[in-house]
Amino acid sequence: MSSQVNLKDRNLLAVIGDEDSITGLLLAGIGHVDQHQKKNFLIVDSKTQTSVIESAFQEFTERKDIAILLINQHVADKIRPSVDKYQAAFPALLEIPSKEHPYDPSKDSVLKRVQKLRGD
Amino acid sequence: MEALGFNMDAGFLEGVVRGYKGGLLTTANYHNLTQCENLEDFRMQLASTDYGNFLANEPLPLSTSTIADKATEKLVSEFHYLRTNAVEPLATFMDYITYAYMIDNVILLTLGTLHERDTHELLERCHPLGVFDTMPALCVATNVEELYHSVLVETPLAPYFRDCLSAQDLDDLNIEIIRNSLYKAYLEDFHAFCQTLPSPTNEIMSRILAFEADRRTLNITINSFGTELSKDQRARLFPTIGRLYPEGNNALARAEEIEQVVAAVEHISEYKAFFDKAGATGGGGGGSGGAGEGEASSLEDEFFKYDVELNKLSFLQQFQYAVFYSFVKLKEQEVRNLTWIAECIAQDAKDRVDDYIPVF
Amino acid sequence: MSGAGPREAIFPTRMNLTVTKGRMKGAQTGHSLLAKKRDALTQRFRQILKKVDEAKRLMGRVLQLASFSLAEVTYTAGDIGYQVQESVRKASYTVKAKQENVSGVVLPAFEGVRSKDASDFAMTGLSRGGQQIQKCRDTYVKAVGTLVELASLQTAFTILDEVIRATNRRVNAIEHVIIPKLDNTIKYINSELDEMDREEFFRLKKVQGKKKRDAEKANEVRKKQKEKEEDEGEEGGEKDSRDEGLKGGAEGGADMLGEKDEDVIF
Repeated sequence: MSSQVNLKDRNLLAVIGDEDSITGLLLAGIGHVDQHQKKNFLIVDSKTQTSVIESAFQEFTERKDIAILLINQHVADKIRPSVDKYQAAFPALLEIPSKEHPYDPSKDSVLKRVQKLRGD
Repeated sequence: MEALGFNMDAGFLEGVVRGYKGGLLTTANYHNLTQCENLEDFRMQLASTDYGNFLANEPLPLSTSTIADKATEKLVSEFHYLRTNAVEPLATFMDYITYAYMIDNVILLTLGTLHERDTHELLERCHPLGVFDTMPALCVATNVEELYHSVLVETPLAPYFRDCLSAQDLDDLNIEIIRNSLYKAYLEDFHAFCQTLPSPTNEIMSRILAFEADRRTLNITINSFGTELSKDQRARLFPTIGRLYPEGNNALARAEEIEQVVAAVEHISEYKAFFDKAGATGGGGGGSGGAGEGEASSLEDEFFKYDVELNKLSFLQQFQYAVFYSFVKLKEQEVRNLTWIAECIAQDAKDRVDDYIPVF
Repeated sequence: MSGAGPREAIFPTRMNLTVTKGRMKGAQTGHSLLAKKRDALTQRFRQILKKVDEAKRLMGRVLQLASFSLAEVTYTAGDIGYQVQESVRKASYTVKAKQENVSGVVLPAFEGVRSKDASDFAMTGLSRGGQQIQKCRDTYVKAVGTLVELASLQTAFTILDEVIRATNRRVNAIEHVIIPKLDNTIKYINSELDEMDREEFFRLKKVQGKKKRDAEKANEVRKKQKEKEEDEGEEGGEKDSRDEGLKGGAEGGADMLGEKDEDVIF
């Protein structure tokens, strides 16, 4: 199975989020910079263009060494269509709350599906 | 005797700084702030204090970092006002205050340069009190020597760099070492400078700086447990002033665990009290590792409290420069408090909101 | 009968009938097996669903706690964000994927691995707030652990969702397409075989009728020859023998008709 081989290589976490969330997660040691100076995190502030977020999202979802992609919920809101469209199992996409934006379960694309399924 | 001539040069500024001091938030203000439900309320409450409408033009929603930035801005503008009106030797004294921030900025830029960051982005992040003209040029340096010869030799920080020119490559460990050796050199230099000033400035300042030095010594000792920092290196980072110097410093340089640190400060009752209090709030007892964590975290709080205390004392005496230093420190603490309270409000952690350190 | 629904394009032979019947049996077994698998998966799915829901809510709280500890760091050590971003080299917290088997579906389960020498940032905040930073780091490591756990649940959720859909499709396909098709095929083959039987019988009958006619003709010719011979020989015995022949022919014809009727009724 080719997916099995892929699974072994997928061992990184990636983050798209605001500075505080990223600082904390980097403190935990998930940060990784490879030989080409490519980072596995993207800091989003109020000035970051949506297109930048979008392309980072695409890049992280296409990279073969990322197992889990974390994204701040308020950032995910900016690129909601892409996030909702994303259905693949790898990398697993997780929406996480940020400091200033408490978690809103009703927006989470996965939780929406969960609730729909639980509802019936 | 000094009082005779003091008002000619610095009387006005002392008046101003005491006025600023009067504008520091009081316990009642803090109490009101902690009652706020959200950051909107927080802004409203601040509007009635000396801060006025400093947040009025900020777009909603407010973030805690905006509040911190704006509050720092206010501190900086007040400081600059004082600095532009100052004459010697107060001007030099105030320059010395900025050197501490300069050190941080230099380190920040060096770190950023190592990772090939955008210079403008870096400059934005520098502390506004530590800005100097040749700062952007720092971004070209790749090792300490180059850094020194091309840029720093022009700045007042140059003498401080003498001690750390031996560090060849700028990795994380070294940068942290450089930062601390710079700070050590700075503290010693500032201390020496203050001794040249007439009494009572020198007495008050040496008290404050001695505490600052001791605090650094203790912190470095405790924080370097279990890291790759060797004892030799550690000892070289300790400032050679302060009440712990020299026997305390020697004992701390050899310390391997928190008990030895406590033993080293035994003979200074104030410091011993910190550990006692911190130990009590940290839950005491238990394994040495677990207890150490709890102790040290509130140890920082105790340090802050004592720092505030010392700085408050300096306002009790007239005709001296220490008020300027103390004002900056108190204001800084106030900014920290504001950020903390705002943070607690934003994150809905009301049970911790009272952990700020009241200034007045 | 044979044109009532879609069927396999095969020749209606007896062998194909046997083969198709075998396939029908297979399809029925497969259907019941898949239905069982679907039930097992759905049960598992419901469990995971519940856990995902819980974990998502838990994550909200854990991260809030973590970001609060970061606020504590900011309070004592100032803004360390930049310093932390810059000292990133290599991930010390990675995930390892394990595999879990639920009724033949491979579900990945992530596991957070923290490398032993995870001492990055140990130097950060050496002179100020170092303890808070270490504490904050530990809190975040725990938070990331929760996130990793949630991620495996969520991946399991996504994969199971997909697999259940696929299984459902298969179950439905077997139930509503394959089984009716095979059924139709069997009916078709049966009817075709019957038809062929009838045709064969009719043909045989025809052949028999023709043979009889030919035999009669031959008989007649023979009789005529005999008559001629008898005419030439003795005239007396000629009539009896001819009567006998006619009677026998009529009897054969009635027999045949009777048989045919029986067949039609059947």
